[in-house]
Amino acid sequence: MRDWRKFVQVQLAGLPLSPGTKADVVDELAGHLEEVYEGLRRQGMTEELAAQRTVRQVTDWNALQRHIRNAKEREELMQNRVRQLWFPGFLTLTLSTGLLPMLLKLGLEPRIVSWNGPDTILFCVPWLLTLPLFGAAGAYISLRAGGSARAILFSGIFPMLSLAACFFVILPLSIVLDRSIAFHLTLAGFLGLLLSWVVAPGAALLIGALPIQILHAHKMHSQRVAGA
Amino acid sequence: MIGAGIKRGTAELAVLSILEEGPLHGYEMARRIEEQTKGALRFTLAALYPMLYRMEQRGWIRGTWETSNSSGRRRRCYRLTPAGKKKLSPLRKEWAELFGALKRLTKVAHA
Repeated sequence: MRDWRKFVQVQLAGLPLSPGTKADVVDELAGHLEEVYEGLRRQGMTEELAAQRTVRQVTDWNALQRHIRNAKEREELMQNRVRQLWFPGFLTLTLSTGLLPMLLKLGLEPRIVSWNGPDTILFCVPWLLTLPLFGAAGAYISLRAGGSARAILFSGIFPMLSLAACFFVILPLSIVLDRSIAFHLTLAGFLGLLLSWVVAPGAALLIGALPIQILHAHKMHSQRVAGA
Repeated sequence: MIGAGIKRGTAELAVLSILEEGPLHGYEMARRIEEQTKGALRFTLAALYPMLYRMEQRGWIRGTWETSNSSGRRRRCYRLTPAGKKKLSPLRKEWAELFGALKRLTKVAHA
């Protein structure tokens, strides 16, 4: 006899609901298919024919997935966003940015790279070395909460996105509000700051988050292959 | 045979009406609706569950997991909520009015 639970699980692998809700949907639909199959068997159909007829209950699993998501979305959307995106994202941000002053307090000063002129780039190497760990942690928490590939990556690099937002929103706004900042900030200085506080930390976070995302993609691919 | 558009419109009424008789799980609900409408309304899994989940979201029905005493199977049983009961009577009235109007119209047309 066919394992209907496994069958439904594979077909609905991409259903973006929380693991608990998704498991309930899988159990319910698998139970329904099992009863349809048993009913057809009782009518005297062969196992093969009954299985074929049962599978015909759903002609387009992608459409069903979409309809279930739409029906459940209102309830799930907010909960999922918090669990899969905002919680891991803000946790990564709090831990990674919270560590920096602690490292500075411990005397681990940033390495200053400067070239001719007043502009410098600060690299706090010990901090940068810890960032892949935070990136991986944020991505892993999102993965465990059933996050999509995009949510996993977003959670891992969230601190970089926040810092980038500071640079591209708050800094230009400050320049508009306080013109004196514009006189002190050169383009090279701005690029240096961007490299120190956005690009380098972002790359470090990405190093940690990317393997988790690849792991997720591999897992999804294996599930699809198993169900084919 | 009733057309797909009318079927979609009557599906919610069918589910609410069948649940008025008592709590049922999805498969049994589909089986009874098919039996009582002599096959005019037939729900596949793909049509039934998204609708049940939508109706649950609206608060018309409520699903709870129950274990069957005879088979030991765990199933999600749906029952009408007070909001669902409240929804059922105007819905019945609307459909009765529509079918009454169509009946009168077709009689006039044939006369």
